Amino acid sequence: MDFFERIRDGWDKHRKPAHEDDFDYAWTMAIDLDICTGCGACVTACQAENNLPIVGEEEFARGREIKWIRIERYWEGEFPDAKLSFIPMMCQHCDAAPCETVCPVSATYHNQDGLNTQIYNRCIGTRACAVYCPYEVRYFNYTSHHWEEPLDQQLNPDVTVREKGVMEKCTFCIQRIRQAKDRAKDDGRRRIRDGEVQPACVQSCPAQAMTFGDRKDTQSRVAKMINNPRAYRVLDELNTSPSVIYLKKVDADAP
Amino acid sequence: MPPEEQSLVYADVNRDVVRSLLVTGPRYYVALYTALGVTVLCFFFPWFYQLFYGIGAAGMNHPNVWGTYLSSFIFWIGLSHSGTLLSCVLHLTNSPWRKAMYRSAEAMTLFSLMVAGVMVFVHVGRPWFLHWALPYPNQMEMWPNFRSPLLFDVMAIATYLTGSIMFIYMGSIPDFAAVRDRTTGWRRHFYVLMSMGWRGTDREWHRLGLAYTFLAVLIIPLAVSVHSIVSWDFAMSIVPALHQTIFAPYFVVGAIYSGTAGIVTVMFLLRKYMDFGQYITTVHFDNLGKLLLALSLMWTYINLIEIFTAWYSGSSAELEALTYKLFGYYGALYWEMILFCALAPLLLISTRFRTSFVPMLILSIAINIGMYTERFLIVATSLSRQYLPDAWGFYVPSAVEVSILLGSLAMFTTLFLLFVKLIPSISIYEVKETLATPSNKTGSDAWQPSH
Amino acid sequence: MSPVPIEGVEEVLGKKFSVIKRFTFVGAVCGGMLGFALAAGTAVLYLHPTGGRPIITIPPFLIIAYELTILFGILATVLGFFLSARLPMIKERVYVPATAVDKFAVTVACDSQPHFQQAAKILSTAGAGEVSQLEEEA
Repeated sequence: MDFFERIRDGWDKHRKPAHEDDFDYAWTMAIDLDICTGCGACVTACQAENNLPIVGEEEFARGREIKWIRIERYWEGEFPDAKLSFIPMMCQHCDAAPCETVCPVSATYHNQDGLNTQIYNRCIGTRACAVYCPYEVRYFNYTSHHWEEPLDQQLNPDVTVREKGVMEKCTFCIQRIRQAKDRAKDDGRRRIRDGEVQPACVQSCPAQAMTFGDRKDTQSRVAKMINNPRAYRVLDELNTSPSVIYLKKVDADAP
Repeated sequence: MPPEEQSLVYADVNRDVVRSLLVTGPRYYVALYTALGVTVLCFFFPWFYQLFYGIGAAGMNHPNVWGTYLSSFIFWIGLSHSGTLLSCVLHLTNSPWRKAMYRSAEAMTLFSLMVAGVMVFVHVGRPWFLHWALPYPNQMEMWPNFRSPLLFDVMAIATYLTGSIMFIYMGSIPDFAAVRDRTTGWRRHFYVLMSMGWRGTDREWHRLGLAYTFLAVLIIPLAVSVHSIVSWDFAMSIVPALHQTIFAPYFVVGAIYSGTAGIVTVMFLLRKYMDFGQYITTVHFDNLGKLLLALSLMWTYINLIEIFTAWYSGSSAELEALTYKLFGYYGALYWEMILFCALAPLLLISTRFRTSFVPMLILSIAINIGMYTERFLIVATSLSRQYLPDAWGFYVPSAVEVSILLGSLAMFTTLFLLFVKLIPSISIYEVKETLATPSNKTGSDAWQPSH
Repeated sequence: MSPVPIEGVEEVLGKKFSVIKRFTFVGAVCGGMLGFALAAGTAVLYLHPTGGRPIITIPPFLIIAYELTILFGILATVLGFFLSARLPMIKERVYVPATAVDKFAVTVACDSQPHFQQAAKILSTAGAGEVSQLEEEA
């Protein structure tokens, strides 16, 4: 009865809510909305890096696009005084993620790096996580996808291709984080340096509006950006503790 | 007692029930084969197509990831609530009018649960791995996530299914014994097996009564918890229209409501096609009608509270979700639901309506249509309007989904038609308890009851 | 034997106690403990933090325990019923098929012929319709 002993020994440890003090790294992304131009290079880069399927025009019209990062656009006012705001929205990797609790087969969980991971092999496609996510950043594979020659040569060998019936979402390019960790380990167990690992979106942003790093490292750029007076989190009032910080756009007209 | 019952004696009950089991006319076979054919054509063929093509065969998209499969699932679970729960509650209150109808009501429960179970297979994206949701030791050393409301659902429905099977079986043992003596061939073997050698001794009756009461006491909190847990699939999310504490009572009341309407439909069909006019009388319809009225008023109250709470909260997301539900793309469906489930049942205030059979049938079908709409609206409108306006969408069910919905209804009908010919659909011994004890003058031999 | 349950027979015959309630209680308690042990035990066997919650979360595991309480209570009650009513009937016992319809029967166990005559006389004077002798396996 191994688990009875385990319960007894670990009772206090197991009753403590998971907290970032326990994480090895706490990966955070900061996006400066003042610099972001809404060009969508991050969306394209993500599609290339993570083997995102092109669902086709018909499926897109039915609302079944798969975009791990999307540029949300909001219009205010009428022409010619219309104002556009946009915000890149990807999985916020919430520390108190509502999607993780509801998966019946534990296909999504919070790993030691503070990332909300999706295990494609375990997913049975209940889609409850997509319902529970308030940011609606989880995407479901409604059909199988195939890449015609020669597009299949463009696929990234480090990332799996998902079959129909599984959920997927932004992973902060966990394959790149994993490679950086391996390199760090080969170099003699040092920690990953700030700026050494960048997800595809961060790497491709032409205006360098996105910053990625470890907020446990107090010297990193993201750790300093958290304390910026313009910093905020989307839907913060829901207490999901997201790991994506947005810096509010400086608006000369706003009161 | 209505005049038609005064002439009933014990022997008549046996005779009528055995006749319902053994005598089958061509009408029955036509109904059975039609139901079976529709099930295969409309449920299994589209489902197999969907297994190969993916959930894309249905109309769901981003953000409407849940659609009619889930609302059908909840509808069938809801329909299942009334039979066993009502039977248990009425058993504990010693109601006489329960006697004739509870067997079929419990059967309705059982078959709705089975159909709901099959709907889960249709709903998930990779049903060939659905067994991972069950706690069993495996080589991966992986267990399901017990913190998930969907897992509570698995446990609760498994328990409810087991409980319903046990309950209906135990209540039927004396009836199997009564029928076994009058049948031959494969039926006799079947009933001998099912009746477990029941002889009707006082010891057996006493133990059965005790066990039956204990089961009833256990099943009532179970049934309340099952649909509360199903509602928590929705209520434990944090998105605007779903994260409400009212959901648990809302769903339970809605389930008993739609289930009771289902019982009325089934009772009408049994009465008409199985010649049970002497057993299922206006008394039953009258009482069921009163129950429906009470439940309808409760349901209306809960809906009003939901609207009030959403408005009172002042949260812009809640208000948007509410306005969309009432006046948006699906607004017509909302008002249809209100008409069928809140306004039409007010006709039940009149006793003349309650005791007329065909109007009650029409009303019960209308109530179930309205309740299905309710479940559909909960799923579709809440997912269409969440916090981030960029991600709003809408959802139209596809032909595959509508076909599967019809097929699930046909599946339920097939199972029920098989039931009426295999298992006594009216409880023989309970009906006898409402009749006068036979004396020397009635009955085939000149025997006398004695202690 | 009777086609319907009769109130009060058990008291007259002097056997009212039944073990069924003990079965139910023990089954339900076992079910509750098993339910919580299942949920908490499997949670610590494969540590899988979700949603910022502790590994052993009390409210969800209590719900699992509640469901299994009722499940095991139900199963134990059914088992208790079969055991205490001595079903399924393995040995051949006396049975009068007409009691399933509308007759009531009283069986008296006699071990010799004089006893049988005495019992038959008592039953006839009480107003029995028919008295007959039936064989039963020992």
